[in-house]
Amino acid sequence: MSKVYEYDAVVIGAGHNGLCLAAYLGRAGLKTVVVERRHEEGGGVNTEEPVLPGFRHNLHAQYMEFFDVMPMIQDFKLEDLGLRTIMPEAQAGITFKDGRPPIVIHRPDLLELTHKSIARYSKQDADMYVELKKRAMSIETLLAVNLYTPPVESGTVDQGEMTEAFFGDLGVTKNFVMKSPKAVIDELFETSELRALLYRATVEWGFPVDTACTGAAFLTFIMWTMGNWKLVKGGTHSLAKAMTQACYANGVDLLESSPVEKILLEGKRAVGVQLKDGSIIKANKLVASNADLKQTLLKMVGEENLSDTWRKRSKAFRYGPSHVLGTLAYCLYEAPDYKSAKHDPYINKCFYTMVGFEDEHDTIAYIRDAYDDRLPKPAAGTWVNSLWDSTQAPANRHSATGWYFLPKAGALSQQEWEEVRRTYNAEFYKVWGQYALNMTQANVIAEKIYTPDQMEKKNMMMEGDFSNGEFAPDQMGANRPFPEASQYRTEIEGLYLCGPSAYPGGGVHAACGTNAYKVISKDFDLMDSIVPSRGY
Amino acid sequence: MITQYDVIIIGAGHNGLTLGAYLARSGLSVVVLEARHEEGGGLSTEELTYPGFLHNVHANYHTFVDLAPPVSDLKIREHGVQYVKPEVQMASIYPDNTALVVYDDIEKTAASFARFSQKDAETFLRLYKEAHGYVDLLLGTLMFEPPMSVKELTKALSVFKVGNRSQFLSVKLRKETINQFLDEHFENSKIKAHLAFHGAVCGYGNNIEGLAIGFPLLVGKINNWHLSIGGSHRLAHALWRDLANHGGVLITDARVDGIVVENKKAVGVKLQDGTELKANKCVVSTVSVEQTFLEFIDRKKSDDDLLEPEFVNKVQNEILHQSWSLFSVHLAMSQAPNYIAAEFEPDVNKAWVVNLGYDSLEALNDDWDVIAKNGLPDPRPNVAVNSLYDPTDAPDGCYTGLIRQFAPYEIGSDGPAAWDEISGIYGQKCIDAWAKFAPNLKDEAILKWATYSPHDITAKLPNMVRGDWMMGQITLSNMLDQRPTSELGGYRTPIKDLYMAGSTQHPHGFITFGPAYNALSVIAEDLGIERWWREV
Amino acid sequence: MADIYTQQWYEEVKNAINNKVAGMKKLPEGTWQIAIEIVGDGVSPYVLQGQERHFLASIDQGTCLWYKEIDDDTEQQDQKIKLDYRFRGNASKFDEIAAGIMDPIDAALGGEIKVKGDMRFLLRQADQVQALLEAYSNDVSTDWPKGKPPY
Repeated sequence: MSKVYEYDAVVIGAGHNGLCLAAYLGRAGLKTVVVERRHEEGGGVNTEEPVLPGFRHNLHAQYMEFFDVMPMIQDFKLEDLGLRTIMPEAQAGITFKDGRPPIVIHRPDLLELTHKSIARYSKQDADMYVELKKRAMSIETLLAVNLYTPPVESGTVDQGEMTEAFFGDLGVTKNFVMKSPKAVIDELFETSELRALLYRATVEWGFPVDTACTGAAFLTFIMWTMGNWKLVKGGTHSLAKAMTQACYANGVDLLESSPVEKILLEGKRAVGVQLKDGSIIKANKLVASNADLKQTLLKMVGEENLSDTWRKRSKAFRYGPSHVLGTLAYCLYEAPDYKSAKHDPYINKCFYTMVGFEDEHDTIAYIRDAYDDRLPKPAAGTWVNSLWDSTQAPANRHSATGWYFLPKAGALSQQEWEEVRRTYNAEFYKVWGQYALNMTQANVIAEKIYTPDQMEKKNMMMEGDFSNGEFAPDQMGANRPFPEASQYRTEIEGLYLCGPSAYPGGGVHAACGTNAYKVISKDFDLMDSIVPSRGY
Repeated sequence: MITQYDVIIIGAGHNGLTLGAYLARSGLSVVVLEARHEEGGGLSTEELTYPGFLHNVHANYHTFVDLAPPVSDLKIREHGVQYVKPEVQMASIYPDNTALVVYDDIEKTAASFARFSQKDAETFLRLYKEAHGYVDLLLGTLMFEPPMSVKELTKALSVFKVGNRSQFLSVKLRKETINQFLDEHFENSKIKAHLAFHGAVCGYGNNIEGLAIGFPLLVGKINNWHLSIGGSHRLAHALWRDLANHGGVLITDARVDGIVVENKKAVGVKLQDGTELKANKCVVSTVSVEQTFLEFIDRKKSDDDLLEPEFVNKVQNEILHQSWSLFSVHLAMSQAPNYIAAEFEPDVNKAWVVNLGYDSLEALNDDWDVIAKNGLPDPRPNVAVNSLYDPTDAPDGCYTGLIRQFAPYEIGSDGPAAWDEISGIYGQKCIDAWAKFAPNLKDEAILKWATYSPHDITAKLPNMVRGDWMMGQITLSNMLDQRPTSELGGYRTPIKDLYMAGSTQHPHGFITFGPAYNALSVIAEDLGIERWWREV
Repeated sequence: MADIYTQQWYEEVKNAINNKVAGMKKLPEGTWQIAIEIVGDGVSPYVLQGQERHFLASIDQGTCLWYKEIDDDTEQQDQKIKLDYRFRGNASKFDEIAAGIMDPIDAALGGEIKVKGDMRFLLRQADQVQALLEAYSNDVSTDWPKGKPPY
């Protein structure tokens, strides 16, 4: 069954970054193919009916915070190709067992509601949050340029100076960039409940809270994206559909169920790929990999074809423990009705709701458990997307999805994961019932949990790390995945990285693919993707 | 979002996508609207058990691959679809653990028949050869052209004196059941059971009067079953790709609220989210008759005489659905079945599809009686292990299994929802029934399994009314230009510029491409599109 | 008597067809272009193995206007003349039909002569089709230059 194909460009992996790069390459006139290991495109941009027909769950990516700035959406008119979004008013909330007031973060255009909610606990914190959010939004273009430009080598800009310049009047000093996000949050906010929300949000949306030297990112990146979340109508996978359609419309081919066995080399040059079934796909110009660093270099290129430096650095690259998640999927009769709603009904109509976190101590313990390979006591961030998009569940039913922080895939044995799948949801669901009285067993039609070891098997997200590489100062920015590889080029001529092992990392921003194109377009003298009016 | 197209097609099953691709290739602007988050309709492949195990939730057998013009017109294979035709196509294993095997090679098949009856083997070979001769001619005419009436066909058969020319084909078959045909020509009960079961799997009930007329054609294609590598959904991707390559657009999660009718002409479609799409030329429905005319046409708002009361009454009360449905169990397995019957016939272990347990027509008839009374028969399922011929559909060393059991849509007087309670129990019974013939399928050999009941079929794909995967019963009165009603039999409808092109139409359900291809002829005629696709 | 597949032979086929349909009522509307592709099979001496001979016929209101052999293959002709039907089969089968020893309907039903085109028309015009086939297989007296089938 093996065949021989010939293209200009071969993109390994139909995750959203691979699709993004391929669409730009196709638009630039390169005969391009995307080869995908699975039978379905999208990678982590995935929606299925894993529990019951008609109940949709996003198994990986949940909320979209970069759609307003994502170049591909504009450049390929993805809205004409079926991409539609909903942006709920209440965006992120935390609710409590004893029914005390929830904290609800609203959309950026409803900051007064956010203020009112936080002020129930502390006016100082409410003022601080609102001010920080405004500042972050005011530099949105700058942040977007930063995101959609290949990383600038560290040291070029003094981050400390810049941070103090922007936030100095709020008591932020240069040394904040040396702090961990937790230290920054603790210094700026006094309310334990709010700290709890922000810790979890910071981890989920970017940065390990305990890691030093990432604190500035809380002020910029996290505060920028907080509350900017959209849900994709029909499920996150609709984004992959629209992106794939953009590829097709630009003549890009997609080969599914086609795992790449190796990247073919001629001397030190990538000239194609070989699939598991023996098929050869020749690449006349380039190969780009949306797969993670180790698979790409150590497995597909092969250790023997790497220099000492590249081999050592690739081997030293770390996955997890940040961004290792488990996904819960519940089919419900009713959406949860929280005790805390008596103070603020918005918590029942909140896009993302944290359940099982009482205060900062609880939350930090939970985060640290997962990081240190211990199974945390069940608590989760939850979504009930059917509240906004009726197509995500059958009539008068609801589809709830959530994320647990869990240990790395390799931290537990196969049997232990099997045990987690058997028991963990039931444990959580007892917790859920303490926060929302209607979350009884009778309200749950059926449920499933999807664990890090399964994510590894399904999408080759090693260790279940959706970012394909730990977020730590030595693996971030121009250090990602390691300094020599930070510009998406590899030491193999014609081989590029375009997945989240490269800058900026995991998340649905398509920046890895967008930036890889910027580099490739220079190398091959292709159409420029920068739109001057946009600035990137 | 673009809100104006030449053609709006409702439903992105294989018929909707096929029609869309042809029209897009003809230069029309086309949108295909899909209510689900995923295109393909019955071309659905999901990881229902574990990641890496690809389960064909609906369509598994593709039998018209080499006959359907769209396969070449739309360059399906260039779009990545790979079909294999397993050399051991199918087997029946009988309660005494003897077995009959159908091979790709028909002489070998006859030799297998001969172990049960030399006479029947010879008859089978004659029938096969005769039918195989006219299979192209008749099937091409009967399936890939808009239908003639039974009367016209009968007349042609008699002018051409087909009755004199053929031992098997004759006009009287339209009054006979398949059982009668088999009793007339065959002597061995096991052979008859096998052939009848084959018909039933193809949707032709063996005890329904008149269906004998189509039976020789089914036999002519008995060794023509193809498997789509990487899952049946691959075909949906290919069709979608062809559509999008030619400027057509697929929009998923687009639920139709109504078809907009002005001056008795279909002029557009309104979605449930309020979006109105305008159709310059026509609207095509590929979903059920009931959805199209009872849900999508607002008869109160439209002209009073938009639809004749007689027609509405037919749609409400007289649409014929299959009186039985399918219950499926999808399995992730670490071993392939090792049948006791392999002692009698080693090749059963290589059979793609195996029919278990029916050794007489009476046994089949008895089960139809049970099902007709909404009872659950003791499982005698047909089972398929695609991994025997598709190395990509399961992790290395593992197997993806499928059990299909004839079953009622409703159980007892409890209605279809009773399935939700009983699926697990009945699923286990089905597995036990398989293990009775292949004792190794126990304990650790089965890693995980998931059921998919007749109730689930309709929950997932509401166009399959009452679990009717055929989208309309196959009976003489519901065939050709009378399917699904006399008014709709020619793909046009009582509403101008509204067409029907789904499996409700001639020829019927299954992956035939026939409804779309034939509706295309009619639409092309009405719109004055030049037929580039009709290669003569 | 004409040698098979000569221009003269085709004139006779044409005349035979037209004589046959002259007496018929209800002739079909329109003009029909038909291609006949005769594939050498190593049995018939008239078309050598590995070679093909292609013929085109034009039927208007049931009457055969012309019937001719074409040099370029019918694929190219197809670009110029839109074909309605294409009959294709081995030379020995066509020879046997012309000799009246093989029934053309049997040949088509048995898949030995492949027929492409809208079969519904042929089925609806069964009477006329029957007449055409009879003319072809029974009403032309053929001189068999190198012997008559079955060889």
